[in-house]
Amino acid sequence: MMDNHIVEVINVTREVAWLPWAVQYFFLIGLSVGGLLLSLPGYAFAREDWRRLGRTALLVALTCGLAAPVALLSDLHQPGRFWHFYVVFRPTSWMWWGSVFIPFYVTGLLLYAWACFREELQAHGRVDSRLAPLYRLAALNGGRNDALIRAAGLFALAGALLVALYTGAEVAVVKARPLWHTPFLPVQFLLTALAGAAGLVLVLNRFAAGNDRAVEVRGNRLLAGVLGAVMLVGALWLALGLSGLDAIHAEALGSVAGSEAWRVTAVWAVAATALPFVIAVARPAGTGLLTGLIAIHGAWMFRWTVFIGGQTVPKTGAGFYEYALPAGPDGLLGIAGTAGLWLFLLIAITAILPSPRRPAPGPARAPYAPAGTVAAAE
Amino acid sequence: MDRSRRNFCLGAGAATIGAAMPAAAAPGDATPGRRDGDPAHRWAMVVDVGKCVGCQACTVACIMENDVPENSFRTIVSTYEVTERGKAGSYMLPRLCNHCEDPPCIPVCPTGATFQRRDGIVVVDNTVCVGCAYCVQACPYDARFINHETQTADKCTFCVHRVEAGLLPACVETCVGGARVFGDLNDPDSAVSTLVREESPKVLKPEQGTRPRVFYVGLDPRFQGKVDGTPTLWRPSGQSHAEKEHA
Repeated sequence: MMDNHIVEVINVTREVAWLPWAVQYFFLIGLSVGGLLLSLPGYAFAREDWRRLGRTALLVALTCGLAAPVALLSDLHQPGRFWHFYVVFRPTSWMWWGSVFIPFYVTGLLLYAWACFREELQAHGRVDSRLAPLYRLAALNGGRNDALIRAAGLFALAGALLVALYTGAEVAVVKARPLWHTPFLPVQFLLTALAGAAGLVLVLNRFAAGNDRAVEVRGNRLLAGVLGAVMLVGALWLALGLSGLDAIHAEALGSVAGSEAWRVTAVWAVAATALPFVIAVARPAGTGLLTGLIAIHGAWMFRWTVFIGGQTVPKTGAGFYEYALPAGPDGLLGIAGTAGLWLFLLIAITAILPSPRRPAPGPARAPYAPAGTVAAAE
Repeated sequence: MDRSRRNFCLGAGAATIGAAMPAAAAPGDATPGRRDGDPAHRWAMVVDVGKCVGCQACTVACIMENDVPENSFRTIVSTYEVTERGKAGSYMLPRLCNHCEDPPCIPVCPTGATFQRRDGIVVVDNTVCVGCAYCVQACPYDARFINHETQTADKCTFCVHRVEAGLLPACVETCVGGARVFGDLNDPDSAVSTLVREESPKVLKPEQGTRPRVFYVGLDPRFQGKVDGTPTLWRPSGQSHAEKEHA
């Protein structure tokens, strides 16, 4: 058999057509959906013990959800023509459905976030400050309204589920790419998004939300649960591919199994999932920053591998295409720019709505007191 | 340009009307959703692999005819060195858009910019295309790419502008070995109809269910799908588009 072989002498190298912008979009929108889901118990279902984690999760949902569409728009090679989506009816295209679901989700998210933060806006409006009238205006002269929060939360949840559905289906229907064309992919997107969101909750809790120990422990437990599910689904995907029981999964695995780089990536992915899982289970307190960062990295790497890695698998040619990250807008600058936009949104939102002081030990539903109130009283 | 843009906006209304009244489709138009072109024809190509000498004249003719940007190809002759029992030989496989009967690139298009004409030719209206590249992903033949001069999806059109003028596609016109045969499948006496009938040619990746209308006579099954071999030595896209622009 050794003397039978094929060498490809001339062929086309097709460059990646979904750029790192797409990775950023799927990462941010996934984290936003994950953040929204994690915020629901504390806000939409008014579980006081989930409230503080919910607030940080809401920050995740809001910052990522507002930055994501910008990345998506940038991935279009003709971004100025985005309105073309809205003058046609193209139900056969998941991407077209996406153009409907994204505004629906972002609107729901903004409405829900406003309903959740209204209590804080009202409290800031009571402080003797030049900005107080603006806060009162933003609160529309109202405060906490659990019924409104729940209604808006369920509206945003519907949008989030549609976004999770379309982002997964959009990629999974691409039969031409065996790696993408598995029913596992939408589930893996959702689970890694939840892990990334829990990770970002842990990181923001450390830096932007008062470093609350209870939030850290709860966040780590959540993260461990989600990472467990990620490993379970990953193992199932691998088992189906290895056993050859299912042609689709065997083909998906077969399309990359021959590559050393892909094997290294697989080991890396397992390590990036198992390591934070073990740490979060063994020491849920004091490790949130570490587990959070690894989880965020894992969620991003998963998307990078699926999109950029997936596009380096030729459909007809031999072997793999090579990919080098360009420094400009189609590469590194796009990634850094999206991250910068996210950071700006985080700074802006936390400046307008600073993290409330931790409530004094006492009744579970202690009256809310933002930082400014205490300062004013002093 | 203005005409097609206006048609595009009107397309929204037309699609709604079309959905409401399927019976309103033009008589003789067997496949709904197709537009333009003459339904009396079904253009196709038969490639006789044994006649291809790998001269790439078709590749160059296509680039010249269609103003294909540097480092992009609407067609190319994939060339392989095949060693069997110690003996080496060459294998040539001209590749192009397969103008499939069931093209996977069309349903995914979010704007309707890519569509199939009633004569079977799959085209892109680059005044409508947003460059989302979903069709690039969906094509199982790597036949589509983003044209960085128009920033829209690009592909082989069977040289539709020439065909409409009664000419052959540039690649067919220039093929020295006569390996590429172009014609009308609706005409039972055409060369392509005869070859399809008598030579029972194969298509690429039949398992994808795309029903290509580019057929291959003498296609080695090892080259029917993704080729299992040592990868290409020539990587024209090693340098990114942005880098080239700044160079």
